[in-house]
Order: sequence, then C-alpha cells, then structure tokens
Amino acid sequence: MNTSIKRSIALVLPVTLLALSCSKNDPVNNADNATLKTEVLANISANVCAASYDDMYAKTQELQAAVTTLNTTPTDANLATARTKWKAIRTTWEQSEAWLFGPVESGNIDPRIDTWPVDFNALETILNSSDVLNEAYVDGLDDALKGFHPIEYILWGQNGTKTAAQLKPREKDFLAALTQNLVKLSKEVKDSWTNGYKDQLANAGKGSSEFTTQQAAFVQIADGMAGICGEVADSKLKEPFDQQDPNLEESPFAKNSITDFTNNIKGIMAIYQGNFAADGKGVEDVVRANNLSLDAEIKSKHAAAIAALDAIDKPFGEAIISEQSKVQNAMNKITELAEVLDGKLKPFLVQYTK
Amino acid sequence: MRKTTIAVLFILATMVALQVACRKADSISPDDNPDSEWLSGGSQTAFDQGGGAFSHAFASLPANLVRIHEIGDGQFNATFVSAPAPLNPGLGPVFNNVSCGSCHVADGRGKVPGVGESAANMLFRLSIPGEGEHGNPVPVPGYGDQLQSRALLGKPREGDIAITYTETTYHFADGATYKLRAPTYTFTALYTTMPGNVMLSPRVAAPIFGLGLLEAISDNTILANADADDKDGDGISGKPNMVWDVLKSQKVLGRFGWKANQPTLLQQVAAAYNGDIGITNFLFPKESSEGQTQFDSDPNSKSYELTDSLLHSVQFYVRSLAVPARRIATDAKVVEGKGLFKSAGCIKCHKADMRTGVDVSLPQVSNQLIHPFTDLLLHDMGAGLADNRPDFLATGTEWRTAPLWGIGLTQKVNGHTNFLHDGRARNLMEAIMWHGGEALSAKNKVNNMSKSERDALVAFVESL
Repeated sequence: MNTSIKRSIALVLPVTLLALSCSKNDPVNNADNATLKTEVLANISANVCAASYDDMYAKTQELQAAVTTLNTTPTDANLATARTKWKAIRTTWEQSEAWLFGPVESGNIDPRIDTWPVDFNALETILNSSDVLNEAYVDGLDDALKGFHPIEYILWGQNGTKTAAQLKPREKDFLAALTQNLVKLSKEVKDSWTNGYKDQLANAGKGSSEFTTQQAAFVQIADGMAGICGEVADSKLKEPFDQQDPNLEESPFAKNSITDFTNNIKGIMAIYQGNFAADGKGVEDVVRANNLSLDAEIKSKHAAAIAALDAIDKPFGEAIISEQSKVQNAMNKITELAEVLDGKLKPFLVQYTK
Repeated sequence: MRKTTIAVLFILATMVALQVACRKADSISPDDNPDSEWLSGGSQTAFDQGGGAFSHAFASLPANLVRIHEIGDGQFNATFVSAPAPLNPGLGPVFNNVSCGSCHVADGRGKVPGVGESAANMLFRLSIPGEGEHGNPVPVPGYGDQLQSRALLGKPREGDIAITYTETTYHFADGATYKLRAPTYTFTALYTTMPGNVMLSPRVAAPIFGLGLLEAISDNTILANADADDKDGDGISGKPNMVWDVLKSQKVLGRFGWKANQPTLLQQVAAAYNGDIGITNFLFPKESSEGQTQFDSDPNSKSYELTDSLLHSVQFYVRSLAVPARRIATDAKVVEGKGLFKSAGCIKCHKADMRTGVDVSLPQVSNQLIHPFTDLLLHDMGAGLADNRPDFLATGTEWRTAPLWGIGLTQKVNGHTNFLHDGRARNLMEAIMWHGGEALSAKNKVNNMSKSERDALVAFVESL
C-alpha cells in the first residue's frame, strides 16, 4: 500500500465519521433537507416550468391580437408591434428550453413549433396556391411550414426589411392561421403541464409515476440545464461557425439568434434559482445548504457565459465571419458552464437528493 | 472399502458439481456475477433514468469521436426540406417523415397513431408475392417496398393507412381478464391502383440505442443459438435471416429491423434516409420514387443528397449510443420476476447474455458482456402476430426477437407504452399475451400464473 492511499484513508475516515455523526446527531437537519427538496420541486414545477408555459400561452394570444390588428390596419407601427410580440414569445420559449423534458418532448410539441429550416419552396407554393388558409390547414402541414419561423419569415421578410405595405393578402391569411396554430399548440403544452405533469414533477418520490424518486427528478432537471448548454455551444453556435456559413443560422430574418442563445442560458439560472416570474425555492437552495463554493462556481460560470454572449455585438450571421474570437469565447464559456453542471452539479444532486 | 467409498463420494461430488455448472450455463447468468446485471450495455452503460436515457454517447469515446457523434446527432435531427434550399435540401418527393429524429423521438420507440391520425412514427412495408434477385421481397409496381404517406406540396402522396382495432376480452387461468386489440389496416387515398395481392407489414420506429453493441456480436455467437429445424426438440427454432448486403454484394446474416432484414447499421441508416425521407446516398443512389409520377428528373443533380461523411456520422451516432442501466435488480419482486421469466421459458429467445466480439476499429464495443435480452434470430410468433409478408428468409409468421433492454423506460422517454412491431400492445402484459407460435408454451405459463406472479414478471421486464 502506498502512502497516497494511506493518506486518503486517513482523510476519508474522519470525514466519514463526521458525516455519520452529523446525520446521527442532527435529525432536524435531515428533516429540513427533505422538506426543502419537496419545496424546491413544488416551486420549480409550478412557478418555473408550468408558469413558463402559462406565460408563453398568454404571449401567443397577444401576438394573435397584434396580427389581427396588423391585418386590418397594415401600418408599420402595427407591424413593429407584431414583431415585438413575436420576440416576447421567443424570450419565454428559449428560456423554457433549459427544461426541455416532459410533454414538450414526449408530445412532440417542439418540432411542431420550432422547426428550422423553413421550406421556402413549399411556402411559396402555398402562398401562390388557392388553398384555403386556416388553422386546420396549417395543422396538417409539415413541421418545416409552421411554428415560429414561417411567422418570422412573413413578419420580417427574407432580408429583414419588410414593410407593412408589402404584406400580401395571402400572406396575411397565412400569418393569421400560423399564429392561431401556435396559440393552439402552446395551449396544448400548458394544459399538459397544468393537468398532470406539474404534479408528476412536484410529487417525485411521493407517488409520481414519472419520477419514482426525488433524485430522478433532480437529475432530470440537471440534465435539462446541461443539455441546453450543449445544444447552444455544440450545435447552434458551432455549426454555422465551423462551416462559416450564415445560411445555417437559426432565426436569421429577425436577426434574433444571439438573443435566443442568451435566453437559453438565462433559462438555466431561472430553474437553478427557482425564479422565473417570481423568486422561490430552486436547485440553488439545495446546493447552498451543503456546498457554497459549488453555488458560487455555477453562478460565476453562468455570468461569464452570459457576458461572453453579450459581447457579440453584431448579428450572429455576421459575427461568425467578423467576430470570430468573440463567438469562440462564447462557446468556450458555455462549455465551461456545461462542465460544471454535468460534472459537479449533477453528481452533487445524485448524492444529496437520495 | 473405505477408499472405494471416498472414491465414489468424490465421483458423486464431481457429478453434482458438473451438473451445477451445466445448470448455470442456461440460467440468467448475471446471477453468477451480480455486478454485471445492472450494466445492460457492459462498459457502455449510461446511468440516466430520465427522458434522455436513450441519448447518451458511449462514456469512453475520445474527443474526436465525441465530435463525430455530435455531428451525427445534429444530422439525425436535421429537418430536410424541398430542394433547392440553402440548408438540408432534397426531401422527398415522397417520404414518411422529414428527419430521423421525428420518428425515432428521443432515440426511442415510435408511437402508434390515434384514431383518425396519420401514421407519423411507423411505416408500412409493401410487396407482392415472389422473390427478387437477391431473395428480397418484390416491390409493388407504382409504390416500391414501402408506402410513403407524405409528399412535397403539389405532388400526390402514395396513400395512407387507416387503422381500426377490434378488442377482445380474454381470461387468465385465475379468472382475471385482459383485453387485446387486433389491428385492421385499410388503404386510403391511394394515388394509383394497388394490386390485389399486395402484402403489407406495419413497422413501428424502434429504439436505436445499443445497436453498435449488437452489431459487434460476431456472426458465430448468434449462429451458435440457431436451431432452425429445432433439432434439440425444445420447441424453439431460432432461425438466422440471410439478407443482401448492398456494399459487399453478397448475402450475409441479417440482424437489424423487426424481421432482421438489414445486415449493418450503415445499410440500415442509408436505406432509411432513402426510403423514409427521400434522401439519396452512395448506397442507395436512386430516389425511391423513380419510375413513379412524383419523380422529377433533375439533370443538374448529379451528386447524392447526403454526403458520405454525413451518412457515416449518423451511422456512428447510432453505433455509439449507450444502453441505459437497469434501475432496480435486487428488489425481491424483480428477483421473483426474473425467476419466472426464466421458468416460463421467455429466456430461451430473449437471451439475457451476449458477448460482443473484438472490433479493433472501435475498442469501446469490443469484448463486452451485454444483456440485450435477444438472440437476434427469427422465431415463429404464431398467426395472431403474423404479417404474412416474407422478408428474405423470414416467413410471414416469423419475427426477430426484440431486444428488451431499456424497455421499462419507454413511458419516461416516449410518453407511451405501445409495444410489438405495430404498437398494438398497450402495455407489457398485453405484449406478452400476444406471443404465440414458438412462444405459446411460455405464454401459457404466464396465463397460469397468479396475479402476484404476473406483477413480478412485469416488474422484472420493467426493470430492464
């Protein structure tokens, strides 16, 4: 036996004894921990996840109202309002991608509202056809012809320079139908969380069939947080960057990509702190009860990732060509955040939420 | 005298020991090695029981292969659109879906459509009687070998299928009831005449994790379990399918797909791109619609719609997806269920243990003790499950033993519990009770089990 092993045993033993003595002498602390975990899951399920889908549904209705106004009174001011409303839904949706599990995934909602790329040829075919453009028609279309991005295309135009006067009657009809479909799908997600999945998550380990232990729920949450980092750093940023191809950018018409990425990363902090619309108990509280330095590390890495994205001041399609070091830095910082979430937070939660 | 007794005792002891050894060989041998029982995918086992359980890369990949896996992941989920387009052009003209991931949702099992819904996560193989030049099913004139239920705007889709179910109530021996629903498939909206002698086989999108490990099992290991003529008289055949390898231009052992009709992951992936999405590639360079009215001959298009490197990245993605670990294995009920799984004879086809061969090109899949719960062979499953459509050597009643690993996570990952090739079973017990043919005796044993035994059996399968 070499010395380093001896040393580590020497270290582990007292630590183990300490841990044992803690848990034996301090049953109150344990009870608190159990209450805390339940409170965290209750708050996250109701006031972060379900609340985000409530919010998104409300905002899709606002977009629908704005589109109705735009269609009857096609002024540039009304067009600007519709664009603002569209961006507002994106803010919520992109944040919610930090908890992309449950009905959105199993109900196949994500591809139906957020498929990229748009099938332009088919879009033109539809606009030039004599098909009746209503919600049922949109619902039957392929994913690449509905959801956020065809709406974005009509509101902004190929180069982002569309004016209200350029909106054709068929485009207006299609815009109204697309928006109505988005409202419907948002309601579907909202309802499946409100009427079931919210309780499944909140009651993890207490009769939930989806999550038989609280640990499973916390691990799912951590996976969602780390997963969106991977999606942003390895896919959304990296693919257009590696290939130096602005055509690969998602959301190019509204030039909203960097905002989308930033909201993806902000969603991580929302679920971590249990603070979507209002502050409540979050994963943070479990971490802070046991490991303040891990909490500080997550927050500093997160702040660095947000700062790195903020530093990119050109639209993403241009930044991959002209601000390469900034884009590379953003990928690095997001990857570092992912490493902490996957390599430290997840094992921590596995250990402390048994 | 005394010496003789000792000698006899010694011989007896040896015989007992040998017998024990024999018995061990046909038991669920993780008993012998409890530590391995959890590790369904050997060293390529992922510890995640959440919604992403089927989507983990092998843990021990070097950075360059991780990158290829990621590129493959991106491509697997890339949505194709009609050409010309700056990104992912080439969809259709006829197709079943727009990306791999839209059928294999979360790398898992497809959902069967509800009443009135179009089949999004399943497809229907078609053929007419006879054998093609490689022993393959004969494509249907005007349709090919699968029904593409979608088409680009302005093109006629080939048609669709309406599914109706007839539900029948049955009784277990103890009087408890269960219901099975038998599907009936009717063609709708056909774009041209369908021959009257067409044969149709529904296929639900299957989970895609662990396939690199199944591919790494040597032919000899699989063939060692084959007993096509049931020479050992145990009622279980185990027939290898021999299918056409397009790259090698020869017949080889089939191991993927519901009827083991694909030999390799590369060919499986390439065929799915071509048939399901309408994306041509070097293995299948012709549009599936060639010769049909939907086909556009584009004189400018000379290259394949999917580059070789992207095709290989998707092949590698599928090849390097880890298998989820079992959640519980030592629970008393699960252990009881494991015993019943064995004593009912399920284990004869749903083999618990397989050892992969050595593959120097990918050490991660080499020489692993895995627990796929399949023998990758064809078995007669009886008239109830028959599609009556031969596929190479697989007859109309034969199906490949489906792997059971990860099956207990279906609800979590895919939000449903539809099982079997056409998703007709609405839970695991229904899937068990649909078994017939060679599995009839196993099914009858389950039929005679008490409720608590049936629950234990299901608990075991759910733990996989």
